[in-house]
Amino acid sequence: MRRFLLAAVLISGIVAPAFAHHSPAAFEAQKTVTLVGTIKEFRWQNPHTWIEVMVPNEKGQEVLWAVELTSPTYLIRAGWKSNTLKPGDKVTVVGRPLKSGEPGSAIFTSVTLADGRTLLERPARLGGGGEAK
Amino acid sequence: MRARTLIGGVLAAALAVVPAALVAQRGQAAPPPPAEPLSALAPENISKPRPKAPFDLTGNWFIDTSTGADAWKFGPPYPKLTAKAQKEFDTGMKYMKEGKIYKDDIGQCWPAGLPLIMTRYWPTAMIQLPTAIYMVSEFMNSFRTVFLDGRQHTDVDVVVRTYNGESIGRWEGDTLVVDTRHFRGDHHWMDQGGASIPAGEQLRIVERIRLLPGGKQLEIAYTMTDPEHWEGEWKSTKRFNRVNDIDVHEVVCLPDLNEHLKSTRSKTQVQ
Repeated sequence: MRRFLLAAVLISGIVAPAFAHHSPAAFEAQKTVTLVGTIKEFRWQNPHTWIEVMVPNEKGQEVLWAVELTSPTYLIRAGWKSNTLKPGDKVTVVGRPLKSGEPGSAIFTSVTLADGRTLLERPARLGGGGEAK
Repeated sequence: MRARTLIGGVLAAALAVVPAALVAQRGQAAPPPPAEPLSALAPENISKPRPKAPFDLTGNWFIDTSTGADAWKFGPPYPKLTAKAQKEFDTGMKYMKEGKIYKDDIGQCWPAGLPLIMTRYWPTAMIQLPTAIYMVSEFMNSFRTVFLDGRQHTDVDVVVRTYNGESIGRWEGDTLVVDTRHFRGDHHWMDQGGASIPAGEQLRIVERIRLLPGGKQLEIAYTMTDPEHWEGEWKSTKRFNRVNDIDVHEVVCLPDLNEHLKSTRSKTQVQ
């Protein structure tokens, strides 16, 4: 089955702080975008981890999306490891896109792996958004 | 032999007089430099007799987020702003309504500085000695010292201004009162997120710090003044939780960081 970008921008109740070194105000507060694609790179580093995922658009062209996550300090406590994502992995990433509407950039909300597990950024006691949706 | 001794004596006397003559030409001799103050880590300073500190903040602390996602913010409400600050705030609000961010300096790797560095969603390690409390935020490993050894603030003509300022603390009963001055007044903000208020060189922050019963929570009552940017006192109280399962690691804003974070280079950014 052909993979494609779920271009749908959904409304959800997720308003996690997801604090980065930059202001989160650039991103939609409640709208999310769901990206179905293939991992190009997963960088495990401070202060940010990021996922680069190739997502086919409606014309079948591969589009690079950079999804920003928090630091490994919190990801570890949400069940992540440095090899949780590898190039070539098929994933579904949910994030909040830029308010400007520019494609290719989002701040992370969740990822669903090929084995069906869903991971968030951080536990609630460290400012996380709570349980996986 | 006797003549040689005489000549030698005259030469020695002449050489001894020369420096005195030079000093006399310049006026009075310069006073000796003041004794170098003892470092907060000097054993002679640490071991000086002092009253026992009412509490020890040594540990890792994290802003209490139980009050909501905006727990890190110091407003709203905001104090009455000066015309200069109001203009910046209004500009930020205007761009925020357009889905843009105005002057997100922290996002461009400038230091957050006080007060924000304490409340962002990163842990702060604190090590308390009798003479000082050393703090390192995991966020960009921002470093702060609160001197407790009785020193005064550095002369304004000598001090090197910083984003965390110069903090001098003293004990008042069961409260640690920390007075912080000498801030950098550029790329320094009281908030982050699109609409903000500048922090200037006149910023002064007084923190009244208490360790709450049980020792698991820290309360800091902030009183902040900056006549360049707002009128009167801006007050806010924050709580921090002791976190015993987190350590502070190396976190640096590397030059290539923002290359991979497209949002920091997007059309949303207005500098």
